Amino acid sequence: MLAKADYFKPIDPSLQNAEFIAVAPRGFWRDVWDRFKVNKRALIGLIVLAVIVLAAVIGPVLSPYPYDGMGTEINAKMSLKHWFGTDALGRDLFTRSLYGVRISLLVGFLTTFINMVVGVIYGGIAGYVGGKTDMIMMRIVDVIYAIPSLLYVILLMLIFGSNVGSIMLGMCISGWIGTSRMMRTQVIALKEREFVLAAYTEGASARRILLRHMLTNALSPLLVQATMAIPQAIFQEAFLSFIGMGISAPQASLGTLAQDARMYMTVYPHQMFCPVSIICIIIFALNFISEGLSEALDPTRRH
Amino acid sequence: MALLEIKNLSVDFKTRNGVVHAVRDVSYQIDTGQMLGIVGESGSGKSVGMLALMGLLAKNGSVVSGQMLFDGRDISPLAEEFHGDMKAYEKAMEEIRGVKIGMIFQDPMTYLNPVLKIGTQITEGIIKHDKCSKQEAKTRAIELMKQVGIPSPEDRFDQYPFEFSGGMRQRIVIAIALACRPRLIIADEPTTALDVTVQAQIIDLLKELAKEKNMAVIMITHDLGVVSMMCERVNIMYAGKIVETGSLDEIFYETKHPYTKGLLDSVGTHAGTGRQSLLSIPGTPPDLLKLHSGCAFMPRCREAMNICRDYQPAEVCFGADHCASCWHFCKDRADEIVKAQEG
Amino acid sequence: MREQEPVIKVRHLKKYFMANRHILKPSDYVKAVDDVSLEIYPGETVGLVGESGCGKSTLARSIIRIYEPTAGEVIYKGADITHLSNAKLRQYRNKMQMIFQDPYASLNPRYTVGEIIGEPMEIYRMYDKAGREAKVQELLELVGLKPDHISRYPHEFSGGQRQRIGIARTLALDPDFIICDEPISALDVSIQAQIINLLEKLQDERKLTYLFIAHDLTMVKHISHKIGVMYLGHLVEFGDADEVYSNPLHPYTRALLSAAPIADPKKARESKRIKLEGEVPSPIHAPEGCPFCTRCAECRPECRITPPIMANQDGHKVACFKYV
Repeated sequence: MLAKADYFKPIDPSLQNAEFIAVAPRGFWRDVWDRFKVNKRALIGLIVLAVIVLAAVIGPVLSPYPYDGMGTEINAKMSLKHWFGTDALGRDLFTRSLYGVRISLLVGFLTTFINMVVGVIYGGIAGYVGGKTDMIMMRIVDVIYAIPSLLYVILLMLIFGSNVGSIMLGMCISGWIGTSRMMRTQVIALKEREFVLAAYTEGASARRILLRHMLTNALSPLLVQATMAIPQAIFQEAFLSFIGMGISAPQASLGTLAQDARMYMTVYPHQMFCPVSIICIIIFALNFISEGLSEALDPTRRH
Repeated sequence: MALLEIKNLSVDFKTRNGVVHAVRDVSYQIDTGQMLGIVGESGSGKSVGMLALMGLLAKNGSVVSGQMLFDGRDISPLAEEFHGDMKAYEKAMEEIRGVKIGMIFQDPMTYLNPVLKIGTQITEGIIKHDKCSKQEAKTRAIELMKQVGIPSPEDRFDQYPFEFSGGMRQRIVIAIALACRPRLIIADEPTTALDVTVQAQIIDLLKELAKEKNMAVIMITHDLGVVSMMCERVNIMYAGKIVETGSLDEIFYETKHPYTKGLLDSVGTHAGTGRQSLLSIPGTPPDLLKLHSGCAFMPRCREAMNICRDYQPAEVCFGADHCASCWHFCKDRADEIVKAQEG
Repeated sequence: MREQEPVIKVRHLKKYFMANRHILKPSDYVKAVDDVSLEIYPGETVGLVGESGCGKSTLARSIIRIYEPTAGEVIYKGADITHLSNAKLRQYRNKMQMIFQDPYASLNPRYTVGEIIGEPMEIYRMYDKAGREAKVQELLELVGLKPDHISRYPHEFSGGQRQRIGIARTLALDPDFIICDEPISALDVSIQAQIINLLEKLQDERKLTYLFIAHDLTMVKHISHKIGVMYLGHLVEFGDADEVYSNPLHPYTRALLSAAPIADPKKARESKRIKLEGEVPSPIHAPEGCPFCTRCAECRPECRITPPIMANQDGHKVACFKYV
């Protein structure tokens, strides 16, 4: 309580604190997470995806059935013993679906990751160096992009056989182009930003500017793009497997499971229904995450 | 009767981190033909008050109290006339905004539609509110363009905003603001984005037009130079409050509030030229989310006293209408003021 | 003559940007900086003033080699740095630093204040981690902030505070020449004076040399020893600050001086303003002769033919035919 006698005495300067900052210190990613978790759909998507990933990783280990083990019960219905039933060769479909999820997620995440890395490096260099180098690099991109990616996959399958590796390689050959174009535009815009100029006048190397200043600030749109690219890759793999160009038996992906079930669709619809709905759930979850992430990363929503 | 009278206006914004009291209990008035300057730094609430008047607050902002009497009619969204009916309020504002009250903004490019010919943009308002033919509207628009000093207006009528320079664009915005013969013009930093020599042209233009058409002008600016060139009265705002109000000369030569003094020292009004001649206000403008109970300027004030930290000062008037809110002038009423704030 | 050697000497510097590439006829160029020469001596502040598009920022960026000059020389303490490769330029980079205009854009939003101010020292491998932190805290106090602000992010600060962080960063390498590229024009009035005073204090303490860029003359007069006025890529007047203020020679300088709003109603009422007609012409189609001839009230026939050369009147230089 302020004594009356002290009312009009000059204030102690330490009580003035004119450089006071009212907000609590918070990093960028902390902020992003705070915004992300308010978005219910995105949060549910993240939880669902986490459950699926966990199931795919530890599920097959706990399952009493091997993925290629044939049994005597063929085309069994969904039951407590066989959650998704069995296929025409008596293999447990739940175990096979979990394996399929493994492959789908592997293809989705790994190809996207490779595409991101290649695209960021390529686009970053083109945008940063500029001039003739940029022109030549972008023309090369145009040429690669001119050939449909399906053609690459088919060619690689002919050479390396149909396995996960050749599918992923095929999807990577032209998959990084979108990222590289995006990164290039980002870098060209960031080049004129004052904090990049500041780093430049401090004598920072090109590598440092690209990695520390440009990549960190281009990361938001890149991440959003990546979360959209993952479901696309999963879909593409499923599609290739479905048209019979995917991995070969006894391995299974969600796509080949659907392909195998096609013949019995009218009799045993659950064989088709289970893998397809897993694909749907994964893709929904990823799309929700992507949407939530792009909102959380959008700097215009920052106060 | 005053043309516009603002009484106890308060505006709040809801943000993620809490409620921001952007305008706190602001009252003032302006008469027909008068030029009022509202001076303040970013975050002082000088623009927010005007946006509230025009019904243009962002979605998270709202008028929480106060009256805004334009020509005797309360045009606040809280006015009795509207009974809290926002549709009725919006409809009423459409008849006022841009018609009876014209607006000029800082960046003409964000105000002008880049894909519409400027002729269309000027005539739009005329046709809508005067209900005249296209041809009449065009004649009026060209007349307006001539008045605001656009050379060969007939040819430029059909051009797009990007074909104009910054100064010319601002002239077009002024022409649009004048189109419906408003009685009041609100100019929000109209010259800040312009070059110095162009700024001088625009200020002269506004001054001439206001005199000729007997319009009142509210000039919102951070630039004391602009104010001394064109205003008759000045309100100085800090952290959502008017800390000092008076005639131009009273503000500059009989300065009362320590913040006003600091501002004048900062621009070197009373200083000579040469180095080391500026006195500045220390520190940084306050965060409106975390204001303490006392005077918002206390943390940066050279003359702060103990009482400033805990209690708000009351407004004290020195002449007909030269008033300031500072504890240095209301010491004798301290007991009464403190009691009122504690109760 | 002066005995001291200039810190920065700019000789006939030109920087052209290609505006439209034509194949059959010569391409259009924007002559952003056209034949500018000036010298900056140790411990002094040269104020560079001009309206938008006059080339003042381009000149600054060409001096500090963000842009490659089209022609001419930049000499730092006797060494020609115009054509040095990036690697060789590194030994001068720490001596020349720049403060930028927009305090919201000049600090990388992803890093803490400590990382931002510490970065130049990291690049030059100065001190170990703890030493750098101590130095950052020292610099923060030097610019009037608190040592515990070190772990905060730029968006938590106000504009003026950010600009002070920017100043602390430029000081990290102990430079002797700093280009201030409109460091106050994005700031509030009360903060502008703060920054000017801080820059002056630092100059006195650390014997710094400044090139201070601004778009009008009101604040520049409080910090500059000398003033240069630019118009459409040309330096039209250069001289001691007091001289340029009390006795402006070039018609453009006079107009610029009188157009600046005076924050003093009595003086504003008394002052007779020179009204300039029109606006700065496009730099792609700049006038043939004197760049200012399209807006000049005193334009003579010879002004339209060739650009005037700098006339030197006891160190007060002006490029106008009136003084040739």
